Amino acid sequence: MGRFLLRRFVSSIPVIIGILALVFALARMIPGDPCRAALGERATDEICDAYNERYGLNEPILVQFGIYITDVATGDLGESFRFGVPVTDLLIQRLPTTIELAAAALFIAIIVGVPLGIISAYRHNSKTDVATMIGANIGVAMPVFWLGLMLQYIFAVFLRDTPLALPPSGKLDAGLIPIPFYEAWGLPQNGFMEFLSEFTLMNSLVTLQWEIFQSAFLHLILPAVALATIPMAIIARMTRSSLLDVLGLDYVRTARAKGLRERSVILKHALRNAMLPVVTIIGLSFGLLLGGAILTETIFNLAGVGKTLFDAITSRDYTVVQGFTLVVAISFVIVNLIVDLLYTYLDPRVRVS
Amino acid sequence: MKRFSKLIVLVFVMALIAAACGSSSDDTTTTTAASGTDETTTTTAATSSTEAATTTVAASDFTGLMVEAACDDETNKSEINYIKAVDAYTVEIQLCQVDVAFPSKVAFSAFGIVPQEYMDANSGGGALVDAPIGTGPYMLQQWDKGNQIVMEINPNYWGTPAETDTLVFKWSSEAAQRFLELQAGTVDGIDNPGRDDFATILDSADLLLEERAGTNIFYLGLNRDKEPFGDEKVRQAMAMALDRPRIVDNFYPPGSIVAGQFLPPPIFGYTPQPTWYEQDIDAAKALLAEAGYPDGFDVTLNYRDVVRSYLPSPSTVGQDIQAQLAEIGVNVTIEVMESGAFLDASDAGDLTMYMLGWGADYPDATNFLDFHFGKNASDQFGAGFEDIWALLDEAASTPDPAARLVIYEAATQLVKDHVPMVPIAHGGSGVGYLADVTNAQASPLGNEYFAVMDPGGRDTFVWMQNAEPIGLYCADETDGESLRACEQITESLLAYEVGGTDVVPSLAETYEPNADGTLWTFHLRQGVTFHDGSTFDANDVVSSYDAQWDLNSPNHTGRDGNFTYWDADFGFKNNAG
Repeated sequence: MGRFLLRRFVSSIPVIIGILALVFALARMIPGDPCRAALGERATDEICDAYNERYGLNEPILVQFGIYITDVATGDLGESFRFGVPVTDLLIQRLPTTIELAAAALFIAIIVGVPLGIISAYRHNSKTDVATMIGANIGVAMPVFWLGLMLQYIFAVFLRDTPLALPPSGKLDAGLIPIPFYEAWGLPQNGFMEFLSEFTLMNSLVTLQWEIFQSAFLHLILPAVALATIPMAIIARMTRSSLLDVLGLDYVRTARAKGLRERSVILKHALRNAMLPVVTIIGLSFGLLLGGAILTETIFNLAGVGKTLFDAITSRDYTVVQGFTLVVAISFVIVNLIVDLLYTYLDPRVRVS
Repeated sequence: MKRFSKLIVLVFVMALIAAACGSSSDDTTTTTAASGTDETTTTTAATSSTEAATTTVAASDFTGLMVEAACDDETNKSEINYIKAVDAYTVEIQLCQVDVAFPSKVAFSAFGIVPQEYMDANSGGGALVDAPIGTGPYMLQQWDKGNQIVMEINPNYWGTPAETDTLVFKWSSEAAQRFLELQAGTVDGIDNPGRDDFATILDSADLLLEERAGTNIFYLGLNRDKEPFGDEKVRQAMAMALDRPRIVDNFYPPGSIVAGQFLPPPIFGYTPQPTWYEQDIDAAKALLAEAGYPDGFDVTLNYRDVVRSYLPSPSTVGQDIQAQLAEIGVNVTIEVMESGAFLDASDAGDLTMYMLGWGADYPDATNFLDFHFGKNASDQFGAGFEDIWALLDEAASTPDPAARLVIYEAATQLVKDHVPMVPIAHGGSGVGYLADVTNAQASPLGNEYFAVMDPGGRDTFVWMQNAEPIGLYCADETDGESLRACEQITESLLAYEVGGTDVVPSLAETYEPNADGTLWTFHLRQGVTFHDGSTFDANDVVSSYDAQWDLNSPNHTGRDGNFTYWDADFGFKNNAG
């Protein structure tokens, strides 16, 4: 197991360096001058020279890349051009919002998608099956920005002043200030503590700040539903087709011949084998959700990784683009690794070696 | 089923761990970044001191600061000679040359006053970027980066206390998003509703629209050094050929107006007369014929495809101008240029005909007319007009505002006669509010003042603007989103009237120039305290200004240390050092 992990880790290094090089090059291919994007078009050449000097933008590209790789190797992702703060600080602030959103979306996608897939497979070719699959196809095809705007309009404007009303955007009601758990418990403040405290739901739950918890929960519903739609539809379709394959196998027929109840046949015998490809999809979805929440976060005005990345691209904040993309990429690699490990649990025939 | 549920739980737990580990690169730096992350959620250390509210500085205890620099281009590019605290509540500023717009510049929010003691103790305003200290009606309570800024009422405010206990700034770059928040009633006011939403706001009994007059100008530049525009008649023909109301009606948001001259109405120097030429195709053709172009001519129209408040849709406007000029036989070829290259080329006088605009840095004619038509203007319209120069020089050395207006009226007439450009539009915008907000305003300068607004008795006013402020030490910021937030917290010696551009007293109760307009004396308000409890006096003014003015000052620090507005409006000293 240890050797497997080590091998996977080592083999992912070239991938990470490749991603770094690609992102570094792509960031610099965005048209426009970072100095004037940051300081306005009336910034003088003198000011821009000083700016470029400060951020090393006057060095040759290859030298800039060399410096960047060295810095990243020592854990320094650089300083945001726009905000003048370390990129790691921004990550500490923004990553928890995205993880919370992605986890909530994945949760919804699984608890709705898997049962839908099972029902669809169980009632194969029935009206229910057809309706579910049409729904899943619509879910895959529906643009997130459109769905997001519709959800916002229905729940925030149309249902305004009703018990079903939900806040249209943001993370908390205006003016609410959560107290970080380390402050509430008198613990020392450091980057890791701040990172944890930025998980607003968790932070408010463990410190019993119910008003904050309620507000954060309500604010999370609409973006999580919007973000969940596509993975939910994919999971439902994958569960259905995979389960249908398994249900046609001999051992299932044997189980039925033995007189087992259908529920038992499907949930205990067939589903486990059918879950292998579904787990792959779930793992990949989580990776995609972490990096792919740009639209959702922008529509719902959530200051997570996606929205920060979007803003960084428009303001040519190279270091933030690079740092955030790198973290998303690494997350993806790690999630893939976890999916591989999960296989061994689901299918003992698969060995990590 | 049991194993399946275990599996689901396992997937979640591992995915969460993975995501946390995914930031392994930041895990390794959390320790080093810890000090920096103080900025994540910043709470000001500002405390209120009721005792300090009435404290004044005894004259005998006061040692006034003075900073100076010889009026010399080598080491002092600025227009300032010295800044002196004459006594605890009097400040003198000696200029190297007359600047009639000086009060208008001083009122700008980038020149807010901060405590001298704080600046000296912290080596400048770097820390103020996240934790501003001012004298304004609101104090920063918390800046939750990325999400909101929460301000609380300043209980010791020298003026009328703010209407609400709490003011919250939120932001979204999407107009649709801001409008939805307003419709949902989760915010009390939004900046820049989308063009299509103006009608909805006007039709709604729950919403209120305030139109914001543009302090900008969009014009069609004509370079007299390039043929055929060397002939004044040709330029006048161009002026008469264009149907400017059609352009504004079709391509500009509500709140925009057709430009009657180069100066927008809210800017000092604007006079109702003279107005621009009306469209007259026959007269335009006749002028072209007189100039020797009876069949028209070919010309290139250059622009950059960059959206600005003065030009919201460059391409469509360019095509419309092309179509309109075709009616008098002028065959226009459109050439879109990269933004930087376009600005450089127009400045250098390389373009024959182009679309460009200008937005106010400060609300005075000098910022518009002198910059474009004065002696030191670029070559964008070709060789300058000496008769215009003479009038602008005269206006710039005439401290009496009424007399200046007369001169600007004459200068505007000359601009109309010479037609170095065709003024087309002043691009406007709007501000949306909930209908129960009282004293709602749309400031032409974008500095809405929330202390006077009452959101229907609610104790929190929530404002949503286009973007998050970048920093709250506005001496070192240039974006309107930061400046608006600063306006609520810090104050300058003077201010612009609420919802307007007239200069009114703020931390200075009165001010006066000497006879030739080179020495300005400001008499400061007494009994004012900063949010940190320190007392406001003349040395705070000298210190705040010197931190921006002097490139060698240890306090010349901010978010990036550029102090762009000071440089643009007054210039630095020690520029050679």
